[in-house]
Amino acid sequence: MGGYGDVQLLRDDGLRLDGRKLDESRPVTIQAGILPAADGSAMVTHGLNVAVAAVYGPMEAHPRKIQRQDRAVIDVRYNMAPFSTSDRIRPGFNRRSREISKVTAEALESVVLVERFPRSKIRVEIEILAAEAGTRCAGITAASVALADAGIPMRDMIVGVASGKIEDTVVLDLDKAEDNYGQADLPAGILPNTGEIAFLQMDGDLSPEEFDLAMEYNFKAAKEIHEIMVDALKARYEGGDN
Amino acid sequence: MVELVPNLLRQEMARLAEQDARIDGRGQFEGREISLETDCLYNAEGSAKVTMGKTVVYAGVKFEIRTPWPDRPSEGSLMCGAELRPVAHRKYEPGPPSPESIELGRVVDRGIRESGCIDMNSLCIIPGEKVWGVMIDIHVLSDGGNIFDACGLAAIAALRTAVVPAERFDVGDDYTLSVNGTPIMASFTRVGGRYVYDPCEEEELGGDERIHITIGDEGHLHSLQKGLRGVFTPQEFAEIFEVAQTKCAELRKIVAKKEAN
Repeated sequence: MGGYGDVQLLRDDGLRLDGRKLDESRPVTIQAGILPAADGSAMVTHGLNVAVAAVYGPMEAHPRKIQRQDRAVIDVRYNMAPFSTSDRIRPGFNRRSREISKVTAEALESVVLVERFPRSKIRVEIEILAAEAGTRCAGITAASVALADAGIPMRDMIVGVASGKIEDTVVLDLDKAEDNYGQADLPAGILPNTGEIAFLQMDGDLSPEEFDLAMEYNFKAAKEIHEIMVDALKARYEGGDN
Repeated sequence: MVELVPNLLRQEMARLAEQDARIDGRGQFEGREISLETDCLYNAEGSAKVTMGKTVVYAGVKFEIRTPWPDRPSEGSLMCGAELRPVAHRKYEPGPPSPESIELGRVVDRGIRESGCIDMNSLCIIPGEKVWGVMIDIHVLSDGGNIFDACGLAAIAALRTAVVPAERFDVGDDYTLSVNGTPIMASFTRVGGRYVYDPCEEEELGGDERIHITIGDEGHLHSLQKGLRGVFTPQEFAEIFEVAQTKCAELRKIVAKKEAN
């Protein structure tokens, strides 16, 4: 966290700078099946974030050394487009994108029925086209919808959500200013049907009570976003021409 | 990944060509439906999304301040790059930029640069000290054939909507980038022995060499590229060049119409 501390992020009326309530998420829109070359795909806009996910497979896992005899491996690449941030990003992997790719893959491996596809690989490509704090969560949400769109069996979808702390107050879904000048960020990947957590990170400073409230907000947001995910998949397959 | 080109597909392409037909029912020089969106990405100073059939491409423009080259103290710079990331197709693999993506970026770059639509002197802030570097990054999200034309269109459309972020760099007020022209690319692939315009994925898989032609507002050529294995005659080129003139004029109108809205 930036931890500058002296930047005002809450207005005198108790609302946030963009007018949101403390437990209010930015608007979310989801479209499934937007990339015709992929086996499954989705686009998620979350506030000004734009995340796109494509799924290929299950396919033969190569090189052979990555194969698992009893299950599929999930190969995730999270990548930010060069024009997705204020300062241009040089193309290619960096430490941050590698870490996000790793934990996202592990989260998805916890929900996909990987034992159904021994020795195979499922490729999940997450591309961030515009970043405004919260891209890893938008990416997880997009990946889940893309996997469902590809017809890959899962125990549940994962919803990427985040809460944090600004001006000693717990709030849902930090925007860019709140992320830069706030005190904590708690992104989570939640399974809305089972109530389990498949992805969790945190940085900053939270008391145990603040953590509980932040997770409560996260579960509330996951439920809301899950409905939008389901609607996107229903819209994709309505009419039956796909 | 090596694409296996089934002989059956090539035979089918030859059979269709004999009947003056294409695998998706189009005429020889008929393009697919195109949709263009501009100014669609937060954080990019100019942006565009192009959909052509199953092909989806984004382009984004960013600016940076750099020191000019010593021999050209008042000239800024323009760079256009393309990424063919694994998101776009199962045939693309992760790793350093492939020769294909480098070719793609350079062909689009040449068309825009050589058309002279950007006056490099207009990118000067302080001669000998500070100039703007303009970077167009092209991101192919779905390769459904003919990504060259889609990338060329996205790049110029994004550039033409770009706003120079002078305030953010503390060098004055933001202003719209001055772009004097709309260079447009038209691509042809030999399929079943003859050239077709705007090849789809199957036609590229079962076809031969390709030719990319970039044409400016005045009908002049600004970049040419012949790619892949195969040869062609001057007569064949003359025919597709004439088609390219018409196609580029049509696409230029799509860009103009988008800007008028």
